[in-house]
Amino acid sequence: MSAAGPRTAVEPDVASSTIALEARGLAHRYARGRGLQRIDFAVRTPGVVAITGANGTGKSTLLRIVAGLLRPSEGTLAFTHAGRTLAPLARRATIGFASPELAFYPELTAAENLRFAATAHGLADGDGAVAAALGAMGLSSRARDRVGALSSGMTQRLRLAFAALHRPPVLLLDEPGSHLDDVGRAVTEAIVAAQRANGLVLLATNEPRERELADSRIELRGGLGDPA
Amino acid sequence: MPTRESSFAAVWAILRKECRSEWRTRYGLNSALLFAITTLTAVSFAVGRLGDRTDVLAALLWIVILFAALASLSHTFVREVEGHTQTLLRLAAGPTPIAVGKLLFNLLFLGVLEVVTVPLFMILMGGPPPHWGTFLGVLALGSVALAVAATLVGAVIAQTRGRNALFAGVSLPLLLPLLAAVVSATRAQWTGNPVTFELRLLAAYTFALLAASLLLYDHLWED
Repeated sequence: MSAAGPRTAVEPDVASSTIALEARGLAHRYARGRGLQRIDFAVRTPGVVAITGANGTGKSTLLRIVAGLLRPSEGTLAFTHAGRTLAPLARRATIGFASPELAFYPELTAAENLRFAATAHGLADGDGAVAAALGAMGLSSRARDRVGALSSGMTQRLRLAFAALHRPPVLLLDEPGSHLDDVGRAVTEAIVAAQRANGLVLLATNEPRERELADSRIELRGGLGDPA
Repeated sequence: MPTRESSFAAVWAILRKECRSEWRTRYGLNSALLFAITTLTAVSFAVGRLGDRTDVLAALLWIVILFAALASLSHTFVREVEGHTQTLLRLAAGPTPIAVGKLLFNLLFLGVLEVVTVPLFMILMGGPPPHWGTFLGVLALGSVALAVAATLVGAVIAQTRGRNALFAGVSLPLLLPLLAAVVSATRAQWTGNPVTFELRLLAAYTFALLAASLLLYDHLWED
């Protein structure tokens, strides 16, 4: 199961610890009929899970809840790591999150943004982790460019580098292929493939190519796909 | 659970990020210094040197520091919301290290502002020589209290829609006792009166506000 040889920056640091997510009656309502409808699921490492559904079904909302960024208005989500339940605020080291809403500090360079995150995460070799994450996403030559000067595709690569920076066992990727060219998509698929061996990936997407990466699927209902 | 070392690392990361962003954008420092220098110069031209009017001198000094700093200090959290970087910040560090990092930056900001403003004030306003030990003690404690209050107000208003209106409403009850205590202490050190009561009041105010802030930050900085 586990890949042999030295780890790269984008491989998960999960060792033998199992991570399990179990949602019971989980829902989040922004307004009447808007948001994530009640859902139950259970997933665990290793694996890749696609979260699919029409626009407005709450794919991004579900990822934010799993990341501990949003408190659900109904139900529970048990996030356990090696048998211990992690509170929302204690999940930072365990998850890597990339989403279109993730913005960086435009006045800082790509490397400075990641170095900030690496230091805040308490990584022992922060510079090494930053260089490896940028290299894995093909951004080494843009490391010293300010984020405000990066294109949409480069910013998306930086989001993925940020998610994988601290080698988290769980990757939460919201539309990871958006704005990416073919090379960027291939790199993303390689990250997901590396994570599959030991960790867990939740992939919010409606892209057929990205859906094919998944071993299982959580289909969300409602949104614009629900005529009611 | 975050260890003590990782919390220190997160505080350091946030402080360094704030300093670097401020250095690159000069978002707050330029406008704060501009306000302080133009106000002191205008008052100096209008009324000349105030000499032994220690009541006016004490009030003027703290009004200049307060208004020069407040807009920038309380916007440390608002900038994260308006720049959509709060998700990045919350994924990188916990609420308490974020708040402590921003508080330390606000203290540093006030320190830089006062290094320019206070000597300029002394030169232009021409007050009597201060009792340096007491004066610097009042300045330091007043700055800590102001930074703690402004950081808390910033965290409270950042997540709200009507943040500009709320800013005044939340700031007023928090800043009035602080301002009264520092003005009274600054005047007392010039006139040679004891400042023990004011310093104790400031210390208690700062401690209470800091304790309340640390308890509140976990709840303030979430959706």
